[in-house]
Amino acid sequence: MTNQPHILVIDDEPQILRALRTILSEKGFEVTVANRGEEGLTLAAADPPDIIILDLGLPDMDGIEVCARLREWTQTPIIVLSVRDTERDKVAALDKGADDYLTKPFGIEELLARVRVALRHSTRTRGAQTSLVKAGPLTIDLAWHHVTRGGEDVKLTATEFKLLAYLAANRGRVLTHKSILTHVWDPADADHTEYLRVYMRQLRKKLEADPDRPQYILTEPGIGYRFIADEDAE
Amino acid sequence: MIRMRSSFAFILKYFLAISLIAATTAFLFFVLRGALNTPLVALLYLLPVGLTTALWGLGPGILSAVGAFLSFNYFFIQPYYTFQVRHTSDVFVLLVFLFVAVVISQLVGRAQAGLAAATAREREATQLYELSTALAGLQDDEAIACTIAEQIQVVSQAEHIEIEIRAKPPIQVNLPINISPSEQKPELVIPLLSARGQLGEIRIWRIHHSVSPAEKRLLQTFASQGALALERAQLAQVESRAKLLEDSDQLKSAILSSVSHELRTPLATIKASISSLRSGEVNWESSARADLLAAVDDETDRLNILVGNLLDMSRIEAGALKPQRQWNLLAEIIDGVLARMQHLTEQHRVETDVPDDLPLLPVDYVQMEQVFTNLISNSVKYAPLGSLIRISVRVRDEEAVLVKVSNQGPQVPPEHIEKIFDKFYRVTAADRVTGTGLGLSICKGIIQVHGGEIWAENLPDGFAFNFTLPRKWDGAPPPQLPVDPETT
Repeated sequence: MTNQPHILVIDDEPQILRALRTILSEKGFEVTVANRGEEGLTLAAADPPDIIILDLGLPDMDGIEVCARLREWTQTPIIVLSVRDTERDKVAALDKGADDYLTKPFGIEELLARVRVALRHSTRTRGAQTSLVKAGPLTIDLAWHHVTRGGEDVKLTATEFKLLAYLAANRGRVLTHKSILTHVWDPADADHTEYLRVYMRQLRKKLEADPDRPQYILTEPGIGYRFIADEDAE
Repeated sequence: MIRMRSSFAFILKYFLAISLIAATTAFLFFVLRGALNTPLVALLYLLPVGLTTALWGLGPGILSAVGAFLSFNYFFIQPYYTFQVRHTSDVFVLLVFLFVAVVISQLVGRAQAGLAAATAREREATQLYELSTALAGLQDDEAIACTIAEQIQVVSQAEHIEIEIRAKPPIQVNLPINISPSEQKPELVIPLLSARGQLGEIRIWRIHHSVSPAEKRLLQTFASQGALALERAQLAQVESRAKLLEDSDQLKSAILSSVSHELRTPLATIKASISSLRSGEVNWESSARADLLAAVDDETDRLNILVGNLLDMSRIEAGALKPQRQWNLLAEIIDGVLARMQHLTEQHRVETDVPDDLPLLPVDYVQMEQVFTNLISNSVKYAPLGSLIRISVRVRDEEAVLVKVSNQGPQVPPEHIEKIFDKFYRVTAADRVTGTGLGLSICKGIIQVHGGEIWAENLPDGFAFNFTLPRKWDGAPPPQLPVDPETT
C-alpha cells in the first residue's frame, strides 16, 4: 500500500498520455494509463484507483458508457476530458455519474485543482461531514440553516437556502442544471433552467460583493454551476 | 366485368338497330299503309338507316340497311308476306334502295369515325398540353414523376402506375400512393428515354381492358415528355451543383489563405519559444523564460479560439447550428463573458447597461456567449486603447430586445458596413490586424438561427453593433416561477 494517490488515466491520445503521466508523476501521483475503454474498466477493477481521468472520445466505446459502467460498482471520482463544443456530452457524462469535467485544451493547474477537489470530496463523503462551509466573508451553517456574511445574518428564502446548501455541500464540484433542479426543486422540474437563472441571480445579490462578478457562485456555461469555498480557492 | 359490359354495349347497338327498323316497319305498316306508294316507303326506310349509322356506327348501319331491305320487300312489295318480287320495277326499287341505304350508312359512318378520331386527337392534344404545363418549371425528379403518374392516371384509368427513376438514390413513385407493390407483370412498360440514355421506366397495370395502339402511342408521347422534363431538371441540378462547387472552391481558397496565416503565426511563436527554452540558452530563473512561457500560453489560446471559430463556421455553413434554447438572463451571460475576457479588455474601459428587470430570453447560453465574445473582441481590436466599450440592452417592444455593443473605434465606410458580417471580409488589410474574418459572420449565423437580426452602424464618435433577440419562444412568453415560501 502506497501513500501516493493513484490516478487512472483513460485516453487514446499518446501525447496527452505522455504529458499527463509526466506531470502527474512529478506532482506525486501514482499514474496508470489505459488506451481503451475496456482496458480502463479492467484496470479500474484490478487495482482500484483514487481518481479516474476519462476521455470521452475513445476508440472502442463511448466515454459516457465507460462512466455508466464504472458507476455500477464504484464511487471513485471521475474527471471527464473532452474537446470544446460538446456541452451535451459533458452534461450526459456528469448526469451519468462523472464528478467533474475539463475542456481540451486545458491548463495543468486547472486539472490539478479538479483532482484536489475530487479527492477532498471523496474523503468527505467517506468521513464525517462538516456542517460549516466558509467562502471568503461567507459562513454557511448547513446544520443550523444559517448564513452570515462578514458576521452579519443573511436572510434567505427557503428555496434560496436549499439551493445554497446543495451548492455548498458539493463545493468545488460542477453541478449540472438537471442535478440542481432535481435536488432543490423536483425531478419534474429538471428542465426549468430559468428557475436557476433567477434564483442564482438573487443569491448572488445577497451573497456576492459584486453580483456581476461573482467570486463564489460560478456559472459553468451550458453545464451548470460551481460553488467555490475557501478550501477550493487557489 | 368491364369486358362483359363492353360486349353487352356492342350487342345492344345491333339490337337497337333491328328494333328501330322493326318500329319503322310497324309504323309504316299499321299507320301509313295504303296511303303511300312504294318509292315513298323506300324513302321513309332510309331514315332509320341513316339515323342508326349516325348514332351507333357503320356495323349497325349496314345491318339496319339489310333489315330495311328485307322488311320493305316482305311487307310492302307484292306479293306481300313473301320475299318474292312480282314486278320487274319493284326489283329495281329494291336494288336501288339497298344500294342507297348501304352508301348512306357508309358515308355517315365514315364521317362519324372521322369526327370521333378528330375528337380523340383533340383530347390527346389537350392531355399533352396539360402534361407539359404541369411539368413546366418542375425541378425536382420526384415531383416530375408524381406529375407524370397523375396525368397517366387521368388518361388511362389504370389500377396502378409505378414510375421508377434511376437517380441516386433511385426514386419510385406509386399511384395510388400507398398501394403495395404488384406481384403481377405490368400490362405495359414504357421506358423514359432521353438523349443520354434511359432515365427510368413507367409501369402500368390495367387488368380489365387491354391497351389499344392509340393509347399506347399517347402514353409513349407522355413518357417522352416526362423524359424531357427529367433531363431538363437533371441538367439544372448539375449546373447549380457546379455553381456551388465553384463558390465553395473560392471559399476554400479564402479559408486556406486566411487560416494558414493565422495558424502559422502562433505556431511560429510557440516553436521559437519552446526551442529556445530547450536549447538551454535561456536562464531558467530569468524573466525572459517567464515571458517565453507566457507567449506560448497565449498563442495556444489563440489557436484554440481559431479552431473553434472554424468549427462554428463550418456548422453554420452546413446549417447544423441548432440553438439549445433555454430561458436565460442576458445579464448573467454578459457578466460571464466579461469576467472571462478581463485579460483581453483590461486596456479598455468596459461599461454595461442592462436593466435589472430585463425579462428572461429564450436563447442558447453558449452561443450567446460566443456572440458577445466575438463582438467585444472585435471592438477591442479596432478601438483605441483606453477608449470606452459599452454594452447596453433595451426592451424594444413586446416582441424583441435590442442589444448594442458600441465602441469609440474608427468608423466604417458606408460601402463596407453591410459586408462586414460576410465571411473573411475585412475592411483593413489582412496583415494589419489579426483575425480570420470569421468572428462577425459567426455572430450573424447565431443571431439568425435565434430569429434575430444583426447590423452595424456608425456613431458620431465611433461604431456600434446592434442585434435583436426575440422575447418569445414559439410564441410563448417566459414562464412564471413557482412562489417561494419566505424565511428560513
